[in-house]
Amino acid sequence: MHRCGCGPRRGEQDGGPVNLKGFFVATLQSALDLGIAVPDDVLRHVTPDVLAAHLPRPLWARLLIACLGAARVDAQLVVETIGMPNLCEHVPAKILWDCIEEIGVRALGGVVFATATAAASRSGAGPGPQSSRPIPLSTPPPPPAVEPRAGGAPAAVGPSIPTPGATGAEAELDASGRPRVPPGQRFRASTTGIGRLAASSSQRRPQAQATPPAPPLSAEPQAASGNAPRVKRGQTEADFDLETYVGGKDDWKNTLAVEDEQLVDWSASDETVTNGDELGRKR
Amino acid sequence: MSNDQRQAWFARVMESGLENDIFAPSDVLAHATPDVLASHLPPELLSKVLAASLAAGSMTPERVLETVTPELLAKHLPHEVLWQCIAAAAARAGVNKTVVP
Repeated sequence: MHRCGCGPRRGEQDGGPVNLKGFFVATLQSALDLGIAVPDDVLRHVTPDVLAAHLPRPLWARLLIACLGAARVDAQLVVETIGMPNLCEHVPAKILWDCIEEIGVRALGGVVFATATAAASRSGAGPGPQSSRPIPLSTPPPPPAVEPRAGGAPAAVGPSIPTPGATGAEAELDASGRPRVPPGQRFRASTTGIGRLAASSSQRRPQAQATPPAPPLSAEPQAASGNAPRVKRGQTEADFDLETYVGGKDDWKNTLAVEDEQLVDWSASDETVTNGDELGRKR
Repeated sequence: MSNDQRQAWFARVMESGLENDIFAPSDVLAHATPDVLASHLPPELLSKVLAASLAAGSMTPERVLETVTPELLAKHLPHEVLWQCIAAAAARAGVNKTVVP
């Protein structure tokens, strides 16, 4: 885990109270280790003139010894001999940053351009010396701009709403072909009430003649004869049950017909006491 | 260069920048804004950031970067964002001729 805000504050040479050298060393060394950059990238900025101007004599001596003893002198030998810490220690920070900036910009754009370039160079030349060229791509390509339409009028995004002033035939019909009702007629006007009654008092609307409700159908023959009780409001059977049936006064005579033999002569009966005097004499 | 190499390099540069005080965690979050983090970090990492902040009682740039390490920054965030952070720090240090906002 990195140390946040607790590192040494050095770099008084160029950058102020920050450890620029350590940052440069880590950045450039990791770029070389990871293959993000090659020593040629470093030597393109840290040129021999720069080294001559800023590298101390002891380091120059070491470099000369290494070059004299090597079969091949290349950028890798120079960088490895000097060492990245020494390089970053003596080379101006601006030069080192230019190198890092080139590497970073190329790393950002390398996905698009450097791969094809490297593949093309490898296919033709084979395993040659490591080299890479900066790609002049400082910023990612901008997104494709949306060109305005040639027609001028913007495309309709939402539902098509007719203009308020439309009076043509297409405005009078809805989608199903029925005549469109203006929205104002869908609701009762606010002037309903007394005002409306007063206004229409002189012009009474024709009213339909009231017809008596049809008698309720009944399966009983008595109901069919017209003696059926009339149910008030003619709606429910409960109303009929609650009503007292007083109609059909002559019907009870028919249902309780008595023969003459069944009649009792109350005055001739012995068991019948009709007055108090007769009762006392018997006792 | 492969994407893994580029990613590892950006992680190392970010780590080195923080170690060497080239930029502070607040500088990182000035470029890796909450919108950028929310758009690119995976849900589990966002959950970790929030959980760590809830446990500590506050969310600071330092605490965010304790969870979202440079490796994770380089893994999930666009490298252009990281590069803007690096370039801006270099501009502040006076070594970058290009002024990066």
